[in-house]
Amino acid sequence: MNARKLYALVLFFLCWLLSASTAVAKIYIDITSPSLKQLQIAVYDLPGPSGEEISGVIRDDLTFTGLFTCADKASFIESVSRPVDPKNWIPLGIEAAVKGRVVQASPLTVMVSLYDTSDGKEIFSRQYRAAKDETRSMAHEIAGDIYAAFTGKPGIFRTRIAFVGEEAGTKGIYLMDWDGNRARRLGPKGSFVLAPRWSHGGTKIVYSRERGRQWGIYLLDLQGMTEKRIFVSNGINMAGNFFPADNSFVFSSSKDGTPDIYIDNQGNVRKITSTHGINVSPAVSPDGGSIAFVSDRGGSAQIYVMRRDGEDVRRVTFQGSYNTSPSWSPSGDRIVFSGRRGGKNQIFIVRPDGSELMQLTDVGNNEDPTFSPDGRYIAFSSDRDRAKGIYIMRANGESQRRITPKNLKAFGPNWSPN
Amino acid sequence: MKRFLIVPVLVLFVSFGCAQKATVKPEAEQPQKEQKAEETKVQKPAEAAPEAQKESKIEKAETIKSEEAEAAQPGEEGLFKDIHFDFDKYNIQDTYRSDLKSVATWMRKNTAAKLSVEGHCDDRGTNEYNLALGDRRAKAVKDYLVSLGVPSSRIATISYGEEKPLCTEHTEECWAKNRRAHFVVLK
Repeated sequence: MNARKLYALVLFFLCWLLSASTAVAKIYIDITSPSLKQLQIAVYDLPGPSGEEISGVIRDDLTFTGLFTCADKASFIESVSRPVDPKNWIPLGIEAAVKGRVVQASPLTVMVSLYDTSDGKEIFSRQYRAAKDETRSMAHEIAGDIYAAFTGKPGIFRTRIAFVGEEAGTKGIYLMDWDGNRARRLGPKGSFVLAPRWSHGGTKIVYSRERGRQWGIYLLDLQGMTEKRIFVSNGINMAGNFFPADNSFVFSSSKDGTPDIYIDNQGNVRKITSTHGINVSPAVSPDGGSIAFVSDRGGSAQIYVMRRDGEDVRRVTFQGSYNTSPSWSPSGDRIVFSGRRGGKNQIFIVRPDGSELMQLTDVGNNEDPTFSPDGRYIAFSSDRDRAKGIYIMRANGESQRRITPKNLKAFGPNWSPN
Repeated sequence: MKRFLIVPVLVLFVSFGCAQKATVKPEAEQPQKEQKAEETKVQKPAEAAPEAQKESKIEKAETIKSEEAEAAQPGEEGLFKDIHFDFDKYNIQDTYRSDLKSVATWMRKNTAAKLSVEGHCDDRGTNEYNLALGDRRAKAVKDYLVSLGVPSSRIATISYGEEKPLCTEHTEECWAKNRRAHFVVLK
């Protein structure tokens, strides 16, 4: 190591120490701020094979968040290979620029630099490498790094959504990227499947499946692609989700007569509701302390919350006569659900104490809502374009769009935790 | 992997800030360093194995299971008429009591026969709640048959919720047709 390198390293270390004592990285976008200003960014088409596709995905990802606007390529004065000169950007109000190039096609190797155009400084410069068929994954990874550099939070661009798909009358568990790309069937074929739910690590999916006139709960391990039946009995058995810290999970079953909520802890099954009617669709809160569920104990289907031991049951919804499919926001401060109004099912969010009810959709029937892991988006199913499909929107209801193809009937989405 | 990536980003922010004051230009060094430290391999997610492999693996798991598992029992349909329910309700309407009485009479005569009662719903509700509703409908029918003297052990119930519709139009007529209890006599 020469002296210059050593000097740089020492400086580097000193700076790091300094940063530890003062503040964390500069936050360009405070995503918690209510009066949020969009950041205008220039994303160049990366020269080289697949470069245009990669840049397109990055732009789409950043734009969907609502935090960025992508500048029109016609306003790019500089060449992609030149350093960033602030005077080319500041007058246009463009605050950041993404440059780089595709170094080689196989394995796909891409160099990306992110610049702060206010001073022309590089925010990061990184090399990415992936197999050719992972182009989109790589682009999502780059978009995620850009998002993280500006917000200080991980993005959702590499997350996935599990759902129930139906092609030619055959249902199965499907998986796709968060933007609807690369939808693929994981199997199983030819049976009735419902309600996929991710494990907290994002490596397993639990769901319900009918076979031989029985509904069983199955666990699919995505790493080994092996499927295991983990619970079966007479009546219906529907998977809820896992508790955060352990392998126990919640489910609803009518094994003892009426549909009730149960907890399975390593094969130890305990019933935690017991009313005459229906108790179904349990959803464990992110802290593992509460369970939201649907019950008709009050005469109509409504959302309730109880402690994980089944005590302290409180009703959450009071408007309308059909409120179902509860799911928690990642911070646990909201419950999203499907409520029937004027003969159609719509997506609502509400605080767990029943306050601040807000309707997010108003076209067609909208069901099965699920939050993205960063809590900023909601995926749901809708029949607004006739055939049921999966849609995503921002958590305030803005920017609703279909992400599954028109020829695929799709419902029951569940957003991966990572 | 993600956490590992965040650290270099933090360091970079600061190093530029400091570099300015120290009037040294570590930038020339930095990118090189960066390339090494930050070379990001986009890993194939576990499920991104080639399509054919995925399918066959799942199918294989299925095949193994079906050898030991219960195959669907064959059954005879159409012997009894479906009975119908009101929207979001699972009580038995008076108009269907005579139909159910003839089912009970037949079951008492054919003592070897077993009956599966299927509960179904229209598609206006949500899938999970409908599965529970279908379960209640099938059980309401079973309870009524048991009250007429059919042994409980000879009646099984299953719900298909809204998953097995008879028709798919969005009309009251079609919805009413789908809200049903259906009978299958098991051999």
